[in-house]
Amino acid sequence: MIATLLDNNLTWAAERARADANWLQHRDDAAPPDYLWIGCSDSRIPAHELVGLEPGELLVHRNIANLAPNGDLNLLAVLQLALETLKVRHIIVCGHTGCRSVHLALDKRRHGVLDHWLRSVRRLGEDQAATLRAVRDPETRTNIVAEWNVVDQVRSLAGNPLVRDAWRRRQPLTLHGWMHAIRDGLLSDLEVSVSSRADAARLLSPAPATQRRLSAGRRP
Amino acid sequence: MKQPTVIEPIPPALMAEPLNWLFAEHYRHRHYCSLIEQIAAAAVVPHEDIQATLGFLRRDLPLHIVDEEDDLFPLLRRRCQPEDELDLALGNHRDDIDAVAQLVEVLEAALRQERPVSDDPQAQQLLTAFVARERSHIALENAVVLPIARLRLTQEDLDLFSRRMAARRGLLDRTATTSAPAA
Repeated sequence: MIATLLDNNLTWAAERARADANWLQHRDDAAPPDYLWIGCSDSRIPAHELVGLEPGELLVHRNIANLAPNGDLNLLAVLQLALETLKVRHIIVCGHTGCRSVHLALDKRRHGVLDHWLRSVRRLGEDQAATLRAVRDPETRTNIVAEWNVVDQVRSLAGNPLVRDAWRRRQPLTLHGWMHAIRDGLLSDLEVSVSSRADAARLLSPAPATQRRLSAGRRP
Repeated sequence: MKQPTVIEPIPPALMAEPLNWLFAEHYRHRHYCSLIEQIAAAAVVPHEDIQATLGFLRRDLPLHIVDEEDDLFPLLRRRCQPEDELDLALGNHRDDIDAVAQLVEVLEAALRQERPVSDDPQAQQLLTAFVARERSHIALENAVVLPIARLRLTQEDLDLFSRRMAARRGLLDRTATTSAPAA
């Protein structure tokens, strides 16, 4: 059982060494990562694989529903390391389709501590309840809220004092919002990237109604 | 007159024009709808037609649904103007996926049991209902969704859409700098 994992690790290390004799050296020489990835604990593919990087080339922070609340000490510590020590140039908030956490946030049942953590996602669903009611398919509804949630998290990061301090220091830093499709592994850029306090001001202003409109689907 | 069983595949090069690709796929879907109607009415088990239809249901149609659900519709969601009124066409792809799974089950059973679909009125109804839904979907998309997409999507959107379709099919040429998928 658990010993299998340690055995697997030996096999993995041996395969890496066979594939690249200088692998250890490469790891020692590795430059600090340019990217911080904020993903969901429930996402099923390692972030570095999705974007074709080696594990150390991406600093990864994961939590339930890829949230970036400004009061989360864990996230703040990661942000401080990423921005002040590693000086990452990009922060990617990546949600995913078929997110069970978002589904739980919308299902109107009690889930204990999860309800506390997911309250911002639940609020998104409640604020847009009329719009969401028009979507008959629960899976599509979950995916749409997962997209809105990514945009909200980018908005939250854009207002985070650590991020704003980095921009104030003229440190190159862009925030991005992406979605990962579980069924084919493809990433989508949600086109909410911000690179400066001026960009952030635009993102932080109230979203125009059209941004949260729903549109086409496969069936009338 | 009986439709030919072999329905020509679309040349991969057309993926460089994703909206034309979807339009061409709709044309092929219409042929498969006729084929499914023939299978539903046949007094014997038409093996070749069922195999061709199973291939379509297992690969082509699911890919088409993903192309639309994961690329076309999210792009339209971002690019459409309120006057486009695309809210009228809200998605429900779970129904499509379920319908495809049921159809595959019925067709596999017909082959396995050497029993024509027409022997089972319930199975026959499943096939004809699927065809009716598919035709209505194609009519809506050709008449409303694709024309709006032609109007609203930018060349950059279409290039990205093309590359994603190619990647989804394992046809993306890593060295290509243009949107043309590897043939």
